Amino acid sequence: MAQMNEQLVAEVVRQVLQNMNGKAAPAPKGGKLTAADYPLASKRPEILKSPKGTPFNELTLEAVENGKATFEDFRITPEALEMQAQIAESAGRRQIAQNLRRAAELTKVPDERILEIYNLLRPHRSTKEELEGIAEELETKFGAKVCAAFVRESAEVYARRKLLRGDLPSSD
Amino acid sequence: MAQQKRSKRFEVLENRAVHKDGFIGEWIDVGLIAMGSPNDPKPSIKVQNGKVVEMDGKTRANFDMIEQFVADYSIDTSVAEEAMSKSCLELARMLVDINVPRDEVRRLFGALTPAKLAGVMAEMNIVEIMMAMQKMRCRQTPANQAHVTSAKDHPVLLAADAAEAALRGFVEIETTVGVVRYAPFNALALLIGGQVGRPGTLSQDALEEAFELQIGMRGLTAYAETVSVYGTESVFVDGDDTPWSKSFLASAYASRGLKMRFTSGTGSEVQMGAAEGRSMLYLEARCVMVTKGAGVQGLQNGSISCIGVPGAVPSGIRAIAAENLITMALDLEVASGNDQTFSHSDLRRVARTIPQFFPGTDLIFSGYSATPNYDNMFAGSNWDIEDVDDYLALQRDFRVDGGLKPVSEDEVIAARNKAARAMQAIFEEFGFPPITDEEVELATYANGSKDVGTRNVPEDLKAAERLMKEGVTGIDVAKALAKRGFRDIAAALVMMMKQRVSGDYLQTSAWIASDGTVYSAVNDPNTYQGPGTGYQMSEERWNEIKAIPWAVNPEDI
Repeated sequence: MAQMNEQLVAEVVRQVLQNMNGKAAPAPKGGKLTAADYPLASKRPEILKSPKGTPFNELTLEAVENGKATFEDFRITPEALEMQAQIAESAGRRQIAQNLRRAAELTKVPDERILEIYNLLRPHRSTKEELEGIAEELETKFGAKVCAAFVRESAEVYARRKLLRGDLPSSD
Repeated sequence: MAQQKRSKRFEVLENRAVHKDGFIGEWIDVGLIAMGSPNDPKPSIKVQNGKVVEMDGKTRANFDMIEQFVADYSIDTSVAEEAMSKSCLELARMLVDINVPRDEVRRLFGALTPAKLAGVMAEMNIVEIMMAMQKMRCRQTPANQAHVTSAKDHPVLLAADAAEAALRGFVEIETTVGVVRYAPFNALALLIGGQVGRPGTLSQDALEEAFELQIGMRGLTAYAETVSVYGTESVFVDGDDTPWSKSFLASAYASRGLKMRFTSGTGSEVQMGAAEGRSMLYLEARCVMVTKGAGVQGLQNGSISCIGVPGAVPSGIRAIAAENLITMALDLEVASGNDQTFSHSDLRRVARTIPQFFPGTDLIFSGYSATPNYDNMFAGSNWDIEDVDDYLALQRDFRVDGGLKPVSEDEVIAARNKAARAMQAIFEEFGFPPITDEEVELATYANGSKDVGTRNVPEDLKAAERLMKEGVTGIDVAKALAKRGFRDIAAALVMMMKQRVSGDYLQTSAWIASDGTVYSAVNDPNTYQGPGTGYQMSEERWNEIKAIPWAVNPEDI
């Protein structure tokens, strides 16, 4: 029994080491980030910066006090979201990567407009044309192609399931 | 007819606390059944050209919005036929088999349909569910979340309670309001108090979705959780959302570098009168899959505010543990409930928590009430601050890491006092209604809101409104605290604001250590594969858990 446990432990250790070595290896596909680069704040701070271009490690209390860093610095960039998307992907989390890529597109949309669009996506709020207009705006004004396709898809679903403005609740 | 002669034994039993609880028989047609309703669909899948064309007996043209969403976003179609060809029993055995690694289970479960997930759970008893939880939770190290609320929305008391909760080891603290307009002050109190108790504490303010996002963007909260999803289309729409609006909201949070999780739970659909005759667990499986498909990192479930419903039917508490397990098997962080008063019986209260407490989850409670029950504005939690020494004793009795640590009276008083003084300084800096020295003193030594005075509520509310109107941010708060000599808290606030630049805490199941390092399922993945593997309590942590201050030490005798 004791021997079996030892074998088991040895096997687990071997697997963990293998995983770690695998993760530590340089990323094969075009230098993509992996779980080995995580957390970025301690392992790769040099590749992070604020939207105003302030290096990550210069975002300190002192910088806040002397005005070198302002509230606008404490926001994520589309680049950082893409890095986190790659890390999520390398950890086997496809859907999280998709969400982070939609988010990267939304960094350009102002706070107020984001809240408005969210409310317009709620059921029975918009006509199909209005939703298509939002998709158009996301695509042309903010370059948010993935989000635009997502909103277009919602318009199709809402039409089919009677969730547009003016629709009566579906009976089935 | 003469009065039937009563058994004294039965009269005693009828007066026990458990008889005040609601119990109800199954009523299948309205969905008042925890698991395995005969009306639940039979599991099936058909994939054509990478697209799901049939799921659980329904063809694509007939999918409701939830079915279309989970078919297109949640299910891994490249694995679907392989995974669905396995029997429920076979899949259930893989969940508990220590020789099947977590990654392999995750690969297959990511391709199952809602009916199949519910079917797998039906094969498992409660101990097997717990064994599977130990293996399947995403993050190796378990943790805990607290509620910090006040019946008076008293900002000084809230800051003091937040500091104490953080000091006791809760990695997340959540508030909500008695009076909605107090919300910005509640958020501010938890932000400051949390960082006083332990830098890195994540705080949130459970309110209407759009407002939550707004205060998150300002840096007054660090994450959000009360973003609800439901298992039937009609209830989802009644909740004023769709999987698309909720996914957009999730992306909006991430676009501001903010952590968030969704919320769902068994019983919500039957409580809202539209369960379509399905079992609670089948509908909950759909909620977990919506969360997965949205790319949200985690989910708060375990019935949550609807616990009265599964709590009343046969096998209901088992179903609650099963919904936590489904969440883990789909590779999501789980904040596993235990957060609402559901029983008058202390025995049932404890038993309800065992399935999450012993195996450990990402957040065992969501949350544990860090205040007296009467101050809990989430309608009370299953455990309150009065029970905290029992909780510490259970950690010690069973050598279990429940996320909390023993604390001394002196350090609690010191932390509460510092948080109260920091709030006093902030209110003065921002020109809010003054906090007196007496209020600081009362909040420092209080147990609950009965021990503190009543503030001038209309004046506070005006000031809270001003805080929102003037656009006060987390950085403004840090600056003001530094100016008033609270440099360590100010530095902690800046460290928290920096989290939204790196985005590290957007990864699955993230919490933040005192030095700002993020630990998540990426750098602390669960590696459990039987005895001697997985989370191993360090000697240091065990010594901490052992040292409850009221234990007698043999060497002192």
